[in-house]
Amino acid sequence: MLVFAISDKGGTGRSVTSSNIVYRRALQGQDVCYLDFDFGSPTVGAIFRVSTASRGTTKGGMHRYLEGEIPEPTRIDVWTESDRDAIRAKPAGAGQMVLLPGDEGGGEFATFDGEMLKRCVRLFAGLHEQFDLIMVDLSAGRSFAAHLALAATAQLPRIPARWLVFHRWTRQHIIAANGLVRGDHGLLDVGVEHGHDRDALIDRIRFVRTAVLELGSGDFAHLRPAQRSWLNEIDRELRELATRHGVGLTTMLGKVPLDPVLQWREQLISDDDVAGTEIANPETVFAFDDLAKKIVDDTAWEGL
Amino acid sequence: MKLQPRQQLLEIWEAAARASSQGKEWRWGGRQGSNSISDAEQLLCFMYPASELPEFRLDTPDATSDDVLEALAAIGDSVEIPKRLLTLLDAYLTTYSDKDGRPLFGGDSYFLPNEPGEEITSEQRALDVVDSYSMSVTLMLGTLGFLKVFRRSVTRQDIRAKISDLESRANVRLSAAMVGLLRSFTINVFEPGSPQGQALLRTANQAKVHDRRVHDDLQKSLEEVRAGLRDLTIGSGSQVDLDNPNLLFECGWAWGVVKNAPEVVTDLKVGEQPKGVAPEVPYLYFTANALVGVVDLWSERTRVLGLLDDDQQQLANALQRRWDITQNYWRTVATFGKDRWPLEDIPWRTTDGKESDYYSLGVTAMVVQYLVRTRAGDVDLSRVAGVLEELARSARITRRPVENDLSAVALHHPGVKVTLLGSEELGPQLIWQVADFAITLLKRTIWVATITQSNRTRERLHSLADQIWAHIQQRQFTHQQVKGLWDNPAGAFDDVGDEQTQVSWYFTERIVEFLVTLALTSRESPLRSQQLVELAGEMLAEAEHLLNREQVIRPVRARLGASSTITTIATRLNRARKIMGERPASAAALINQSLLELDQLAAARENASEAM
Ligand SMILES: Nc1ncnc2c1ncn2[C@@H]1O[C@H](COP(=O)(O)OP(=O)(O)OP(=O)(O)O)[C@@H](O)[C@H]1O
Ligand SMILES: [Mg+2]
Repeated sequence: MLVFAISDKGGTGRSVTSSNIVYRRALQGQDVCYLDFDFGSPTVGAIFRVSTASRGTTKGGMHRYLEGEIPEPTRIDVWTESDRDAIRAKPAGAGQMVLLPGDEGGGEFATFDGEMLKRCVRLFAGLHEQFDLIMVDLSAGRSFAAHLALAATAQLPRIPARWLVFHRWTRQHIIAANGLVRGDHGLLDVGVEHGHDRDALIDRIRFVRTAVLELGSGDFAHLRPAQRSWLNEIDRELRELATRHGVGLTTMLGKVPLDPVLQWREQLISDDDVAGTEIANPETVFAFDDLAKKIVDDTAWEGL
Repeated sequence: MKLQPRQQLLEIWEAAARASSQGKEWRWGGRQGSNSISDAEQLLCFMYPASELPEFRLDTPDATSDDVLEALAAIGDSVEIPKRLLTLLDAYLTTYSDKDGRPLFGGDSYFLPNEPGEEITSEQRALDVVDSYSMSVTLMLGTLGFLKVFRRSVTRQDIRAKISDLESRANVRLSAAMVGLLRSFTINVFEPGSPQGQALLRTANQAKVHDRRVHDDLQKSLEEVRAGLRDLTIGSGSQVDLDNPNLLFECGWAWGVVKNAPEVVTDLKVGEQPKGVAPEVPYLYFTANALVGVVDLWSERTRVLGLLDDDQQQLANALQRRWDITQNYWRTVATFGKDRWPLEDIPWRTTDGKESDYYSLGVTAMVVQYLVRTRAGDVDLSRVAGVLEELARSARITRRPVENDLSAVALHHPGVKVTLLGSEELGPQLIWQVADFAITLLKRTIWVATITQSNRTRERLHSLADQIWAHIQQRQFTHQQVKGLWDNPAGAFDDVGDEQTQVSWYFTERIVEFLVTLALTSRESPLRSQQLVELAGEMLAEAEHLLNREQVIRPVRARLGASSTITTIATRLNRARKIMGERPASAAALINQSLLELDQLAAARENASEAM
């Protein structure tokens, strides 16, 4: 299955959340790979702590492959190449976890041609043979990468594809997330241009809320009562706003709570971070785990 | 009051969801197995809060609140929950319809043989019972409202089709339940000299005057009721001859369809109307129950959502007439005379010579409903409060049971036996066992508390409510599967030996209903006293005056330091003025604080001028 991670705004938590989902899915025993399609800023290596690819690879990555300079993009086995001990210890039963980074110094493409599209289609089709889940991290906003992905998936109707739109829980983000999907030149418009059926495509799009302040959780016990009641009220208003903009609970796949570790560092959260050193919150891992299951759970995508 | 309805309801939802789900399967039935009433009660534990309280709604997946989702996690997420409800409602409607789609209202496993061990016949199991009608009215109204709103969130064709199908079947069941209620209404006419007549006169005659005079006075007070009954047209009770002014009567609901009840003529699809076996005798229990169930038919929600069509509205009107008349009848008898009310003469004695605190409670229900409707004066309400307190005492809720106090305990467990006359035509004598005394008492208590204007009466009733609730909580299950649900009387009474292990949806649903009512009333703005509004007004005048003076006296330069205090005070007083009409006590608190601070400033100045 292909899963595309997208967001209207930069810095929403798209990369960190999708990387952690991939990691959880691997721990659940599935073979997964992660494609860095954020061509303007190929930095996912940093999240997996693969120092050879922290700002993209020098050995030929996604850019050069799509431009036809190399026959295959470099693959990195995260279980063996991560610098983090906690990640390198691949638990028994876990699936493969492979990273396909961008090129160091590579930039955003301005357009794509038929050849490039062919390569992209071939890449997706090939990976689909080997992996259960292919997560593709797209650039923020209405990007060329998103066009390419829509065009490629339109040619691969037999490979299940799903889209996750990441957004924060604020007024601006809620409105922007909706705009990215349903607005002018949004995902749906562009998808239809490339031959997708609008209704079928919308059924494959779900929203994910990132870094959400969970008012009920103990972390906010220190808030003053007035702050609490203010936040509650805002939360209620945001819900209404989200519902009005088609970003309500019916189209939400899940949400990830604000986590102190992620607040300060982009990383995978290992079980040791929660159970051992206790620096991260168990709720965060629970949310990643839940998303990792729901992504492939058809009932969660059935909709109304 | 210690009760927190919202929190309690969430806990019950969580417990009920846990008890009802076995993996992806739904577990129907509880202590007495599954039947048309128990299953409706089980569903209503979810549907009732969901349809009455906005923060518990399940019909708009986008708006489901987080704590609700957490409580119902065993059922699914915000999208799965309503879909699951569709499946469950579908299952309910299928199970309780015959193959032609005619709705069934059998009492089934809620019927018990009078002689333990006797085998109830299948014909008896299938007998309609008023409890099933009234539960179905509530459940179907809840269902229709739910479907109407849920449809707005749905685009998928298959789900929309399912909603439409459920809607039409729920309407059939609703209409059939109303028809059933109309055919179970009854008027019992008797001679003043008959045992029934004597019993009624004895109840009415609290002043111990001459029988003849009580008779005449009672007949006179009941004239309006009599006239109302004479005008009834459709359903049972309409053919009874009330023209003889010497005969006494009583009216209300029999336990099921009355023998030889005429069919209700209607264009609505309700299927074949079954023959009844119940004699023309109103039962206090079923009357009180029917009265509670049918009020949903003319609730604001039913009106706003337009849940009834014209034909159904006609049936609802016919029921409302009977509702009014019945309440009026029982209220008249229960509060008859100038001295002590017959209601205050506990226990109430029925015309067939039975007496029980349970009957007193049943009559109280009708009196309270009447008082609620008429916004009665505090004198009457305080007398009802006295009755409620007395009932709580004698039922051993607020007073410890003495050893071997079997009759008081039996009221709760196994409950009061109601003999279902006429059922013996089809097999052994059937009885109905009712054990909802405590929760019904609590419901009445809160009702009266919310309408009384007198703080004293309200305090009294709130303290009573807390005690009854504490008692009810002792009867809550504490073990695994059914934890948090009811009813385990052994938890409250040492004399009850056998611990229950199965949930009673009958009891649990009534608790849910009560909590919903409580949540609804606490949403209304608090009662406010006019005196307090005036007092706050005068205090505010003084505070604003002092504030003005402070602003004038203070030299511009020196304002720098104190200005924030002054600004805070001004803001606070503005706020006080804004909320004074609604919440005078909160306004007074704001004003008090400002007055203190203003006085501090004044005192400091006085001190300074003294020193000079
Ligand atoms: N659940 C979370 N709690 C707290 N901080 C978070 C959470 N998720 C992400 N963050 C932080 O938010 C910041 C942005 O995250 P990330 O880089 O994943 O976003 P992005 O959408 O991929 O951004 P870009 O568009 O720049 O690629 C990072 O510092 C990250 O650690
Ligand atoms: Mg990123």
